[in-house]
Amino acid sequence: MGLSYKVRLILVCIGIFVMVVLGFFFKTLLIPDSFGVYGPFRADAIDEIVEIPIRHGTNDSCFKCHPYEAKIHKAGLHKTISCEFCHGTYADHVADGKKTGVLPVKTGEQITTLCLRCHNTEIKARSEKVIKTVAMPDHLRDQHVKLSHNCSQCHNVHAPLKYINRAKQITGLMEKGQ
Amino acid sequence: MKIKDPSPDMKKRSFLKNVLNGTVAGCLYLVYPMGADSFEIPEQIPGIRNKPYDIYDQEFAFVVDITRCIGCGSCCVADKREFNVPDGNYRTWVERYVKGFSDRIYVDCPNGGLDGYQSPRTDIKEKIRDTFFVPKLCNMCREAPCVQVCPVGATFTSPDGFVLVDDKRCVGCAYCIQACPYSARFINPETRVVEKCTWCYNRVRKGLLPACVQVCPTGARKFGSLKDENSEVYKILKGPGVLTVLKKEMGTWPALYYKGARREVV
Amino acid sequence: MNTATVSAAMVSDSIGSATMLISNYVFPNDLHVHWSMMIVLYPYITGLVDGAFIIAALYYLFDVKSLAPVARFSLLFALAFLCCATIPLLLHLGRPERNFNMLLTPSPSSAMAGFGYIYAVSMGVLVFIIFFVYRPVLVALRKSSRGWLKVLYRVITLDSIDLSDDALKLDAKIIRFLVAIGIPIAAVLHGYVGFIFGGVKANPTWSSPLMPVIFLFSACVSGISAIVFAYIVIAKVKSRPIDHECIVTMINTLTGFFILAFSFEMLEVFSHSYLKTGYHHMVEGLLNGPLAKSFWFWQVKIGSVLPLLLLGIMVLFKIRSSLYTFLAAGVSGILLIQVFIMRWNVVIGGQLMSKSARGYTQFHPQWFDKEGIIAVIIVMAIPFVILFFLGKIFPFWDKDNGV
Ligand code: HEC
Ligand code: HEC
Ligand code: HEC
Ligand code: HEC
Repeated sequence: MGLSYKVRLILVCIGIFVMVVLGFFFKTLLIPDSFGVYGPFRADAIDEIVEIPIRHGTNDSCFKCHPYEAKIHKAGLHKTISCEFCHGTYADHVADGKKTGVLPVKTGEQITTLCLRCHNTEIKARSEKVIKTVAMPDHLRDQHVKLSHNCSQCHNVHAPLKYINRAKQITGLMEKGQ
Repeated sequence: MKIKDPSPDMKKRSFLKNVLNGTVAGCLYLVYPMGADSFEIPEQIPGIRNKPYDIYDQEFAFVVDITRCIGCGSCCVADKREFNVPDGNYRTWVERYVKGFSDRIYVDCPNGGLDGYQSPRTDIKEKIRDTFFVPKLCNMCREAPCVQVCPVGATFTSPDGFVLVDDKRCVGCAYCIQACPYSARFINPETRVVEKCTWCYNRVRKGLLPACVQVCPTGARKFGSLKDENSEVYKILKGPGVLTVLKKEMGTWPALYYKGARREVV
Repeated sequence: MNTATVSAAMVSDSIGSATMLISNYVFPNDLHVHWSMMIVLYPYITGLVDGAFIIAALYYLFDVKSLAPVARFSLLFALAFLCCATIPLLLHLGRPERNFNMLLTPSPSSAMAGFGYIYAVSMGVLVFIIFFVYRPVLVALRKSSRGWLKVLYRVITLDSIDLSDDALKLDAKIIRFLVAIGIPIAAVLHGYVGFIFGGVKANPTWSSPLMPVIFLFSACVSGISAIVFAYIVIAKVKSRPIDHECIVTMINTLTGFFILAFSFEMLEVFSHSYLKTGYHHMVEGLLNGPLAKSFWFWQVKIGSVLPLLLLGIMVLFKIRSSLYTFLAAGVSGILLIQVFIMRWNVVIGGQLMSKSARGYTQFHPQWFDKEGIIAVIIVMAIPFVILFFLGKIFPFWDKDNGV
């Protein structure tokens, strides 16, 4: 090849330039379509996030199939608590309107642990205005029962004062009757 | 004095058993329109459904009322379940602050508050002045440092003000984790991309409250639209109460407000 | 988790009013150190590139003639390490297969986004400098070589054997031009790594405008030390004569850069402790607590004060050349390690401090992790392998031109 050194250098420069231009051209091809619609990000990502299926229903979602618990729950002081916190998510239980999974139901000791998560006086950070707390085992002593009692033996878990209020009514009636 | 009357439960149980055994009534019972389709669930944030969503005309805010938080960890549990967050990483967590009479602050957060707080701290030698819980989550900064530093545009602020992560573009460099003053981000060990609280954007756009707000038994977490003058957060923000944000000096302008937060809270 | 009270004595009894009291609480997401050894290695490697390039620049642009023996070697050294600069990053990324996103959609607001482009440009410039520097040698070698090597030489020399005065003058001009733009590019390549850290406002040990400067000067220190060290070791192994003038020049340059680097490192610490801003107590606790050993003892005492004394002696007093060579190798060896420790203390040390400003997490290097110790050793070995092969194509030293 009879090209002079200078010409070769110029060719190299042109080569680099062409490669850079090609590089930027291919770059534009590879950028996702929705990139930059709202800003320097992929707009489709927003829709993808919206489409992530939800796993928690709401308490309302449980009520339809559990009318019995619903009635109690709505009437009681635990109406603000989520069924799904104590039981598990809607998605683990129901799909397409049918029951698909078994939700764990707490028993015995587990129930006490669950209740004390919210009602333990010991923690000292729970405002009286927000929640009533009990100190264990004093609470059981006050009721004159064995210290092995679980909370659910006196409190309906879904409406904690249900039985107690009823018992008070009954005892009140009885007192009157006598 | 055993008051519990099990009979209603039993009745209900056998009734449902019959249902499952395939009685006609049972079939009807089960055909209730309760599909996985979330739109069967009543709307919680008014004005989202049945209306085109104008992404440019939205403003949401999150208010955490520290005086109402009882540290039950419902929110943490709900969050972990909602997004199957791997162990050891937290989209949201609840811290316990203990303030001694010497003004010394003791903070702990065992397992991110997932197990709740079952026992008081025993390792504090001095008298305790106050104890309180502080829920933490993404601050949805209007000037988000994570968005600024993301090299590939995988973390972005959507036009409606949510800071979100595009998990298809994230390279997992963790620069945003360094940049986040609130440590709200982590690398998900399974997907190997960054993940963070989205204020349950997927739920909000379906008219539902974020999972943590919805399960909070005491209303310590509040979420709503500032465009809706009837929403609770609108009233709180409009009202005279003092609201603070975390790490104001970072200049991040969070859309997450705290009510009743002491200055020791960071 | 961290309910225990802090081990180090920094619990602030003295500052009753300060709110930043420490109970060793680490945010749950902060327990894990996200930027680990690979991110220590990455600035270390680009630092070596930078320093080596400075030596070459001093010769090719500033005509420091005494550096002639190492000028070409330092270019190749820089190239070998530059080739490996991305390996630690790829090992670090959670999704390395997506690394091209950095080039495709670099976010205009991010300091990190420029990396791909800065890296590509610096690579291009360095490669072309080497081609032009070596052209006369390669034209000669082309005649004596055979097979694929010959093809390679023909490609690199643009298949031209033009060694006329005109052509060589043009080469010299091109080299000067490339080196001249190479210096800012090298400075950007490394200074910007410093900026990546310095720009993180959430981390008080990092967020400092001094960070890029510190990184840059310590980069020069490590790179020059590496050249000094490699030059002496290779010469000893191959029992070649050592050019004393050359070593003296390099050591003097090294001394200058090191004084700057060390001053800025200390300035950073002292201004923190003088300003006593809110986060000062955390930084102080970090340096005196978890980092006490690696910072004050290894980085400052052993890694900085000792070499500073030695360098002082070498610069100020007349020393026998054999002892001088020995000391030069020793000092540069220490400084190589010092810079590594410094990177460690900045990158990993900075993350030990939780953003809760109330506690410190721990970092335990793993052996067999993707970012573990073995991986670090392998990554550090690759440049030397590359260097070995580069040496087969481009003779390192003047005297083995083979012409
Ligand atoms: C405070 C936690 C809590 C909440 C909130 C709660 N549950 Fe329960 N639920 C329990 C516990 C504990 C049991 C076990 C009852 C027992 O042993 O007395 C139970 C039992 C049940 C059972 C009977 C399971 C069986 O096989 O015996 C159903 C059905 C149920 N819950 C549904 C609901 C629904 C629906 C809601 C919401 C409206 C709800 N629960 C809210 C704690 C809770
Ligand atoms: C599609 C209707 C349907 C919905 C919606 C539904 N459940 Fe159920 N659930 C059932 C049926 C059917 C059973 C079985 C009853 C039985 O075995 O006695 C059941 C049983 C349960 C049990 C007992 C344990 C078990 O799995 O057998 C619990 C607890 C429970 N449901 C809680 C919930 C909660 C909480 C929700 C709201 C998130 C909910 N359910 C919503 C139909 C429903
Ligand atoms: C998720 C937290 C939570 C759990 C778990 C929980 N509770 Fe409650 N409980 C509450 C809240 C919130 C209230 C309502 C306070 C109010 O509205 O005044 C409440 C109210 C009560 C009350 C009525 C107190 C009053 O105001 O007189 C009783 C009794 C009670 N709960 C018992 C229990 C028992 C027993 C359990 C265990 C089955 C339990 N709780 C589990 C949060 C919880
Ligand atoms: C022996 C039955 C019994 C058991 C077991 C029991 N409680 Fe109670 N609890 C009561 C009665 C009765 C009251 C109502 C007291 C009153 O109104 O003065 C009460 C009241 C409460 C209150 C409201 C306190 C207040 O200040 O108004 C809470 C909270 C509570 N219980 C939680 C629990 C928890 C949590 C457990 C389990 C650890 C538990 N209880 C176990 C009988 C019981």
